[in-house]
Amino acid sequence: MYNDVRFTLNGQPMVYTGNPLRRLLDVLREDYGLTGSKEGCGEGECGACSIIKNGKLVTPCIIPVGSIQGAELLTIEGIRDTEKGKCIIEAYAEGGAVQCGFCIPGMVMATYVLLNENPDPTEDEIRLGISGNLCRCTGYDLIVESIHLAAQKGAALWKK
Amino acid sequence: MEEVKCYMPQTLAEALQIRKDTGAQPLAGGSDLMVANSRGAGIVPGFKKPILIISNLPELKGIRQLEDGTVEIGALSTSWEIHTSPVTHPLLKDAASRMGAIALRNSATIGGNIGNASPKGDMPQPLILLDAEVVLQSVDGERRMKVDDFIIKTKVTAIRDDELITKVVIPPQKFTHIFFRKIGMRRSNAISKLTLSAAANIQDGVVVDFRASSGAAGPKVERSREVESLLIGHKVAELPDLKGAFLDAWCSDVIAPHAMPEYRRNATRRMLEYFIDSLVAGHPEGRVE
Ligand SMILES: Cc1cc2nc3c(=O)[nH]c(=O)nc-3n(C[C@H](O)[C@H](O)[C@H](O)COP(=O)(O)OP(=O)(O)OC[C@H]3O[C@@H](n4cnc5c(N)ncnc54)[C@H](O)[C@@H]3O)c2cc1C
Ligand code: FES
Ligand code: FES
Repeated sequence: MYNDVRFTLNGQPMVYTGNPLRRLLDVLREDYGLTGSKEGCGEGECGACSIIKNGKLVTPCIIPVGSIQGAELLTIEGIRDTEKGKCIIEAYAEGGAVQCGFCIPGMVMATYVLLNENPDPTEDEIRLGISGNLCRCTGYDLIVESIHLAAQKGAALWKK
Repeated sequence: MEEVKCYMPQTLAEALQIRKDTGAQPLAGGSDLMVANSRGAGIVPGFKKPILIISNLPELKGIRQLEDGTVEIGALSTSWEIHTSPVTHPLLKDAASRMGAIALRNSATIGGNIGNASPKGDMPQPLILLDAEVVLQSVDGERRMKVDDFIIKTKVTAIRDDELITKVVIPPQKFTHIFFRKIGMRRSNAISKLTLSAAANIQDGVVVDFRASSGAAGPKVERSREVESLLIGHKVAELPDLKGAFLDAWCSDVIAPHAMPEYRRNATRRMLEYFIDSLVAGHPEGRVE
């Protein structure tokens, strides 16, 4: 018997009753079918698994599910149909930011946090905002430009 | 592998009782423990001891400044909270803000950084320069210790099996000049190759206080009050004559090198010399870049 872990996942209250030492990433992908978070490194280094916990970017591959008691979690599935989510995703498509796509859900999550905190970032601030997200395909420039695009096109959204 | 037990207390009192009864290992942010025990995708990490999840204990959160200027930092404070707090010391902010990347800084805690006792851990280095103390609590009471005494050597601390680090206490500081460097392979997600903090208090042309501490330069953070005393009490104008002896003593006595000793010694020497030269050149008060 384990203690319950209660938290909110993409707006839905959840009660998890399994082993609290499982990695949050495994629980999201296997128990809740939220496979948008990818596993690149499994060590907190690559950002492919990035999600948002209480408004902050975190990497669930190094978080045990038992430590998210009471937290509010947002995954890519929780933002993709929102105005802000659509704004980023469309900007990525328009800007040609995506090649294989593996890093992209994590990049989008990092972008979401960045633009929420800083609606009009400089290039340096954008690069810093995605500095924990590795991409093996694009060389980053088109991602950086797409984030600029998302900031411009969604100006009203981010500045609210 | 047999599954270990996991405890999820809701209060500090409960946590301390479990710690006393079972000796379970505390897990705060988990960013060291989860990686150290990882067994790959889809598999529960292979912890060797029972785990005590302390991540949500309210008593271990928050940063506050007392009336006399002392700053108390709850053990669960993250690198991000420390970096953005209006009351934390700039040298500690520097160290916290350069740890990992954004997501890591939202998980990594100061208690975990000290508890992990890696010589490459970034926060102990400024904490030791600042004469910070850890507060250790058990069911039986509380004791305090300098961070410098608490961290004994690589991965070894003075913690007892029934204790938790509850907070880190930084006494009020008076420095006119501070200096911080972290050398890593890239700007983000770079474990320190070498770090240095230095600080001085110059009053009427006299070195009233001078401190330095080196990270990733030995089995633990290196600081030597004896070597610092070579400069303290002297006039700034005397520093050019004193600095050779100071740098020799710091770099031979203080650095007990492991890998690339020459590089570590030379780089430390050059950084310290740069700081001292800036003082001699009359650098305005504040941060020496
Ligand atoms: C991708 C990545 C990058 C990193 N980059 C850096 C870096 O740049 N600089 C750096 O210094 N570190 C870095 N780290 C290491 C790690 O993030 C830090 O050491 C962090 O501060 C550990 O805190 P935590 O709360 O996550 O520790 P945990 O893993 O929860 O605990 C670490 C140790 O401390 C003990 N402990 C934790 N809290 C307490 C407490 N309150 N009382 C008693 N014992 C306690 C635990 O039992 C354990 O032994 C990195 C790690 C990763 C995964
Ligand atoms: S898989 Fe989580 S950071 Fe790489
Ligand atoms: S698009 Fe392939 S890893 Fe980024």
